[in-house]
Amino acid sequence: MKALRFTAAVLVIASILAVYRVLLEVNNTTVALTLLLAILGISARWGLAEATLASLVAVLGFNYYFLPPVHTFTVQDPQNWVALLAFLVTAVTASQLSERARRRAAEAESRRLEMERLYALVQAMMFGGTARKTVREFVHLVVRAFGASAAAFYYRPAEEVFRSGPESQAVSDHDLTAAAEIDDVSIDPSRRLATAPVRLGGRPLGSLALIGPLPSENTIRAIVNLVAITIEKARALEDASQAEAARQSEVLKAALLDSLAHDIKTPLTSIKAAVTSLLGGSAGDQRELLTIINEEADRLNTLAAEVVAMARIEAGKLHLERRSVSAADFISAALSELAGELKGRAVSVDVPDGLPPADADPEFVAQVVKQFIDNAARYSPPGSPIAISAELNGGKIEIGVRDRGPGIEENERTRIFDKFFRGRRHRFETRGTGMGLAIAKGIVEAHGGRIWVESERGQGSVFHFSLPAGGGGET
Amino acid sequence: MSAGKILVVDDDPQIRRVMKATLVGHNYEVIEARTGEDALQCLPREMPNLVLLDMNMPGIGGLETCRAIRSGSDIPVIILTVRNSEKDKVAALDAGADDYVTKPFGIEELLARIRAALRRSPASPEGGPHTFASPELEIDFDSRRVRVRGNEVRFTPKEFELLRYLVAHAGKPVTHRELLQSVWGPDYGDEPEYLRVFINQIRKKIETNPARPMYILTEPWVGYRFAG
Repeated sequence: MKALRFTAAVLVIASILAVYRVLLEVNNTTVALTLLLAILGISARWGLAEATLASLVAVLGFNYYFLPPVHTFTVQDPQNWVALLAFLVTAVTASQLSERARRRAAEAESRRLEMERLYALVQAMMFGGTARKTVREFVHLVVRAFGASAAAFYYRPAEEVFRSGPESQAVSDHDLTAAAEIDDVSIDPSRRLATAPVRLGGRPLGSLALIGPLPSENTIRAIVNLVAITIEKARALEDASQAEAARQSEVLKAALLDSLAHDIKTPLTSIKAAVTSLLGGSAGDQRELLTIINEEADRLNTLAAEVVAMARIEAGKLHLERRSVSAADFISAALSELAGELKGRAVSVDVPDGLPPADADPEFVAQVVKQFIDNAARYSPPGSPIAISAELNGGKIEIGVRDRGPGIEENERTRIFDKFFRGRRHRFETRGTGMGLAIAKGIVEAHGGRIWVESERGQGSVFHFSLPAGGGGET
Repeated sequence: MSAGKILVVDDDPQIRRVMKATLVGHNYEVIEARTGEDALQCLPREMPNLVLLDMNMPGIGGLETCRAIRSGSDIPVIILTVRNSEKDKVAALDAGADDYVTKPFGIEELLARIRAALRRSPASPEGGPHTFASPELEIDFDSRRVRVRGNEVRFTPKEFELLRYLVAHAGKPVTHRELLQSVWGPDYGDEPEYLRVFINQIRKKIETNPARPMYILTEPWVGYRFAG
């Protein structure tokens, strides 16, 4: 093909020389300009090498046939030397310029083609679906769009390699995982293989390998960015829909449990009314058995209430009615409900005068205090004192409940607020549901407060929570 | 001789059954209604002495029924509710109920509330009691004298009015709003902190241990109750 073009170029020059020499009598300038035109045409049509050969042939032929003395390669007139040299330089330079323009046009054409392919790829990847599905389809799409022979994609979040077909085995899984760690596109022309890391905002998502005819490096970068964005979009959509589904199911659970708890309370009301009625006239063994029924009815009632509270917290459906409320009020409300549990104990309450009110739902907060006091009573020796305090600390109202119990082991201090957690020493106690402190935590956090425990082995524990101080000058 | 005729209004048949068995066992005569509408129909015919009214019923519901009863009668009404929230208790009292009891309840608690509600029903609330006497506390409302464990204690006029109102409604929870409006005047009602201060003063004067009061009990978030 190349040889044919060289021959043709030489023939064109030869035929011009022949026509002017044999058929037409013209001056030398016309011959030279005609040759120059032909050389420009050759360079535009075929390329620089062909044009350069044509230039040399033209210079030699022009000299031999037209410059005196004709039929020799010698040049008599020094002016003709200049003309000849000017002709050669002009021919070669013009050829170069024309070749460059041709090459630019070809490059532009190939860029346009790559842009078109990228665009086609973008369109093809507009489908929805999961991140994994996106990657699986991408390897086929990229092969189809760019005419590569094979593609492989290492998807790092799933530690999985997707391949367009068996030809992609030219690049191993190991190469792909290694490519994910390298910073830029790397092209191996001998293997006709390009690998590139896939990242978004510095976060590695995996790597891409293309095998066969390769698009330009810039296009590979564009492909990689495109696939990174598409994967990220798919992942974000997946996360969002999973979170939404989870929330919906929590809301549904809360609603179900709410109505279930209500339905449990109705038979419990009959049971409790009946059993307490029987208890009045009973004695001995019967009284003991009826007492058990009564206590267990209470336990079921508490359990139902706690399950509902926990479900509401988890569904984010805790309905707080916040207002300015004094610590003294919710502490005394909690104490008034615990009179029985606190029999025979010294309970001190220390609320400084002038303590600002908290911004809180008083009933829920009283429930937290009650939980703390109930815990203190349950896990400290009978008759040991319980101290309740409130103070202002860094703009927050902090409530503390101190007991003289055995203390809590360090590794249990944060887990104690987890649902269903029971300390190692109390694992086999039957009282309580294991939800009390988790509910307290949910309530405090819904208020934007913090809950924590300080404890020293053998010295006792102090349970704390904080609430935002109430403003507005109410109360 | 019946201790009184009680109308039990509840949509749950088992609850009506157990109430009937228990209350009859305590010498009350019991009539039943399944809905608020039924209750309102049989009220003029049966003329009960007290109504036990479930809050959550299909149809017009407990609160609406209570208001309807109140519009034509001052018969004692005790509302029974499964909800334990302040809002529901206040709503019950605002609807004109004399008292509320949270389900599930022990029967002794319910009987005590019934006795308290029946005891004051014939007395006119206008005049109020003339005296109150317990082993530790004697109050003579006419001469405004209070003796605690034999010693005379001085009361300010507002403290005395508060005490008089609570004793006149002994056994019944009195809301913050009701107390404020009857002692301070109709423009009051949203100042529970006034009450906290005055109740604390009264407790210091009459209670052996003001931190564990025996006479003036706090009904959390609702108000106060005088335990007579």
